[in-house]
Formats: sequence, structure tokens, C-alpha cells
Amino acid sequence: MKSISSIALNTFRESIREKLMVIALFFGALLFASSYILSPLAVGARAKIVLDVGLAAVSLLGILTTIMIGSTLLHKEVDRRAIYMVLTRPVSRLEYLIGKFWGILLAVAGVVAVMTAVMVLMLMLGKVALRPVVFMALYLTLLEIAVVCSIVVFFSTFTTPVLTSFFSVCLVVAGSLSGDLKVFAEKFGGAVTRRIVDALYYMLPNLKVFNLRHEAVHDLPYRAGDLWLVTLYAAVYCGVVIYIAHLIFKRRDFA
Amino acid sequence: MTVLRVEKVKKSFRGEMSLAKREVLHGVSLHLSSGEIMGFLGPNGAGKTTTIKIMLGLTRPDSGEVRILERPAGDRSAMARVGYLPENPYFYPHLSLDEFLGFCGQMSGMGREGMQRRISEVIELVGLIQHRGQRIKGFSKGMLQRAGLAQAILHKPDLLILDEPFSGLDPLGRVMVRDLLLEMKRRGTTIFFSSHILPDMETLCDRTCIIREGVIVRHLGLDELIRLGEGKIEVTARGCGDDAVEAVREYIESRSDTGDETFLVVKKQEFLRTVMQVLYNHGSEILRVVTKHPTLEEVFLSEISGRRKNKGAGGSKRESAVSRKGVRAR
Ligand SMILES: Nc1ncnc2c1ncn2[C@@H]1O[C@H](COP(=O)(O)OP(=O)(O)OP(=O)(O)O)[C@@H](O)[C@H]1O
Ligand SMILES: [Mg+2]
Repeated sequence: MKSISSIALNTFRESIREKLMVIALFFGALLFASSYILSPLAVGARAKIVLDVGLAAVSLLGILTTIMIGSTLLHKEVDRRAIYMVLTRPVSRLEYLIGKFWGILLAVAGVVAVMTAVMVLMLMLGKVALRPVVFMALYLTLLEIAVVCSIVVFFSTFTTPVLTSFFSVCLVVAGSLSGDLKVFAEKFGGAVTRRIVDALYYMLPNLKVFNLRHEAVHDLPYRAGDLWLVTLYAAVYCGVVIYIAHLIFKRRDFA
Repeated sequence: MTVLRVEKVKKSFRGEMSLAKREVLHGVSLHLSSGEIMGFLGPNGAGKTTTIKIMLGLTRPDSGEVRILERPAGDRSAMARVGYLPENPYFYPHLSLDEFLGFCGQMSGMGREGMQRRISEVIELVGLIQHRGQRIKGFSKGMLQRAGLAQAILHKPDLLILDEPFSGLDPLGRVMVRDLLLEMKRRGTTIFFSSHILPDMETLCDRTCIIREGVIVRHLGLDELIRLGEGKIEVTARGCGDDAVEAVREYIESRSDTGDETFLVVKKQEFLRTVMQVLYNHGSEILRVVTKHPTLEEVFLSEISGRRKNKGAGGSKRESAVSRKGVRAR
């Protein structure tokens, strides 16, 4: 447990000392600013735009940052052999991966926190009341990022940064559509199509469940009970993916 | 107690482009008892680093067995008691030396109390006091090597496995490492290290093991290393004609000339008197009589070149280079 937290902390430290984070934050700030400046509208409408763009930006930039940091981190460590320092100590490879996962997540959570702070500040300046549903949406975004993070860690255990990024992006896109695909297949597909789509549906992350942004922007009702289910879903998904990643990583030769 | 046991380990690597495998370790076996220092010697590409990585569980052997502190390679409880210095070490560049060692200590399961003190201690030992707050990113090769040693001994391991601990170090650094290893040994640490610096190896090791092209070709125990030290007697004379040399022919092993000086290696201690007498009678002036010792380097070179000679003409040149060099004075 202690080694997991030290690895996570070290990973976090490494990521925030990378300039990459600065870039992510910069783009985040830029996006917010532009949504603010480009909306010479009534106060209510402007607030909605800020919230809409803001929440989308947090999610998008969070996912991109995760992929950017995550895809190179492990590879760099193996490539430069810094990983020897960890694996030749009483640390299992599973602990190593879990530590990496938490470290990346922690770093991205930092980015998300800063972006959230900027957004909240802008909303407060616009004298808009913050509803709890906004924070629920942000919480779900964090869960979404965690799921993406596990996917990135998974790919990075056996492939290059470029391919890791590519596969991760593919999975994120597929994951955002998998719900629709299932509905579509159920309506129109044959038995075989439905089987395949079903299998895909359970394998791909269903990222749609993490999207509470629409409700947050338009202040629509949502079911609080579902949040627990979604949390559980994210935890199980991450756990399974990291475990499979570990099965691959365990076999790796560091020659 | 056998602290490290490598049994008939084989390992092959796939080629860059082809799928064909090339075997680089052909059944390597090694045994290291508690408290010993063993040197691991071999030319570039012989398989030293590969063997060491297999010991630590970084690489899996194709066949054979490794037991480290009576556990399988890479075993968790064993690794808590092992210190490892990789070849050309590289660490997290974003950390300062202090932070890095703190991280290593935590990884090794060291308690918080005492860790800071121990970190200061090892930083002092490896001579990096002025650099402890500096990011590792800016370290020179020798500084990296020192940092590597610091992390290897940090948690007071029972077994130290060092891949070329002397590489990249200045002369002071080399003395530092030598003293460090002797001190560790005095405290009962078992040490296994590879090196190309033979004089250091000779003075440090209880045993030496020579690997060539993935095969252990020679084990030199303490007794053999001592026997290496049993020297030969060399007589240096001036004004020594061919007739004089001819007269002592049966007592000498070899002859060489530099300017007007002639060097004669006497076959046995008891011939020395006769040789000197004969030379004297032939009117040559005896300048010196010294005892010379063959070095590990010569044993090593002859082991290496022995194979080359079998392979072709290239080797004989090496062999003659060795014999020309003769024996070195101690
Ligand atoms: N990852 C790898 N892939 C393919 N071949 C490898 C790999 N690592 C080592 N080898 C090969 O294995 C052989 C042994 O290499 P190794 O690094 O163990 O040598 P070494 O004895 O440590 O040499 P040096 O003194 O130069 O450090 C070499 O022929 C090398 O080409
Ligand atoms: Mg090597």
C-alpha cells in the first residue's frame, strides 16, 4: 500500500513538473476566456454558455491530458531504465501499475481542479448561482477520466506512446457511441449483430453514463441513486482493465 | 549458506529484423556464499548484464534456475534485502537526489524514522553532499554512478549486485567504491559485481568468474587468486652476450631485451643462484632481481584469446601481445 502511494506521488510529481500540464492549463484558460468574451448575451444565456463550454472543456482537456501524460510515462520509464529502480525493490508489478494509474489520475485531477476553479470564478463574477448538479457533473467527469486513464495504462504496458494514444482515442470515441450502437442494434440488427454489439457494449467503456453535462447546464432533474451505480461501474471497469494490464506487464522482459 | 545460485541458465534474444533467436547465455551457473565478494569478468557482449538482469527477475531465462537469498528471482521478500546498481544508471530526472533516495527508501520499505539520517549518511559516503538538492537531470555520468551506488546501499542490503560499479568514476571515486565495498563486506554483505577494471577486482574479490560468449570459462577461487600471486623471478643484466644466455638456457623460461638490458625469467627459485653465477662469470653486470606476478589481467586475456586463437589467425596476435607484455611487477 505504501509503495503504491509513493509511486503515485512520484508519478504525480513527475507529471506536474512536465511542461505538458502548463499547456493543458493554458488551453483550458483560453477556452473559458473565449466563451466569456464571445458571448455578448443576456446574463442567463451567457452563464449557460460558460457552463456548457466549461464542462465540455474540462472533460475534453482532462481526457486529452490523461492520454498525453499516460501514453509516454510508462514508455519513458522503461526506455530510460528508471523502472529498474522500482522493480528491483519489494514492489510487485501490479502495485507499480496501480501506483502509475493513481499518479496520472491525481495529476489530471489537479488540472481539472484548476479549470473548475477558473470556471466557478467566472460564474461567480457573472453572479450565477452554482447548483449542486454542476459538481455532480464534474465528479462524473473525473470518473470518466479514471476510466480513460486505466485504458491508457493498459495500452502503454505493451505498445508505443503513439499507438497508445491512437488506441485510447479510438476507444474513447467508440465508448461514447457504444450506448447508441446498442440501441441501434436492438432495433434493427439480426441475432448475430446483436450478439457482437452486446459483446462490444460490455467490453468498451460506456462513457455516456458519465455525461451529466446536459442536466447541469439546463438544470434538469437527475437520479442521485444512479451516481452510486456509475461510481461502482467506473471502479469495476478500472479494476478489471488494470488487472488485465498487469497480466500483460507481468510477462514483460526488461532486457 | 548459498546467497546466490544461478543454475544452467540459458537465454536467447530475437534478432532485430528476423524471428530467429540467438542464444547469448548457454547454461551459466554460479554460486555465491554468504559474505563473499565475487567478481564477474568478461569481454563486451559476453552476457554479464544479461545474467545480472536474470538474477534480479528483470528478464526471464529460457531455462535454468535462479535462487536469490533462497527465493526465486524477483521474489518480493528477497528484493527487500538486495541492492542493485544497473549498468549506466538512469533515474527519475525530475527528482532531486534527496527526493530520489527518499523514494527508493520508501520503495524498499524503510521506515520514516532514521531514513533521513541514512540518506544523509549515504550521500556523504558517495561524496555528493553539495549536490543533494540538485535535480538528477543535471547530473554528470560519474555523479549518476555515485547516486546509483547510494541507492544500492541505502537500505543496508544483505546482497549487493553491481553492474560495473567503477565505470565512469574518477580515481578518487574508484577508491571510494573500493573502500565502500570492503566496508560492506566487513559488515557481512555478500557482493557480486561485474567490472572491466581488473586491478580493483583482484584486490577486492574472494572469487572471480570469467564469462565468454555466454559460457563461464573459468572460476578463480581465493586459492587460485593467491597462486596467481606466486611470482616468477626476473633477472635484469647488462652486457649479457648470447653466449651467456646460451649457458643458462636450461634454467630460464624466457628472455627479452631492451637497449643493453637483458631480462631473463628464471624457471625456479633454486636456479637463481646458478643463473646469477653463470652470468657473472660471463662478465655481465647484474642490475636487478625482482619477483613478478602474473595478474588477473593476464589470466583474463589468455582466457579470452585462447578462444580467439581456436577460431582463427586473429587470436595469435593477441596471444603474442600477452606474452610480450610478460609479467607485471608488484
Ligand atoms: N535486449 C536485447 N536484445 C537483443 N540482444 C541483446 C539484448 N540485450 C543483450 N543482447 C545481446 O546479448 C549479448 C550479451 O549482452 P550483455 O549486455 O549481457 O553483455 P555484457 O557482458 O554486459 O557486455 P558489456 O561489457 O559491454 O556491458 C550481446 O551479444 C548483446 O548483443
Ligand atoms: Mg554489461
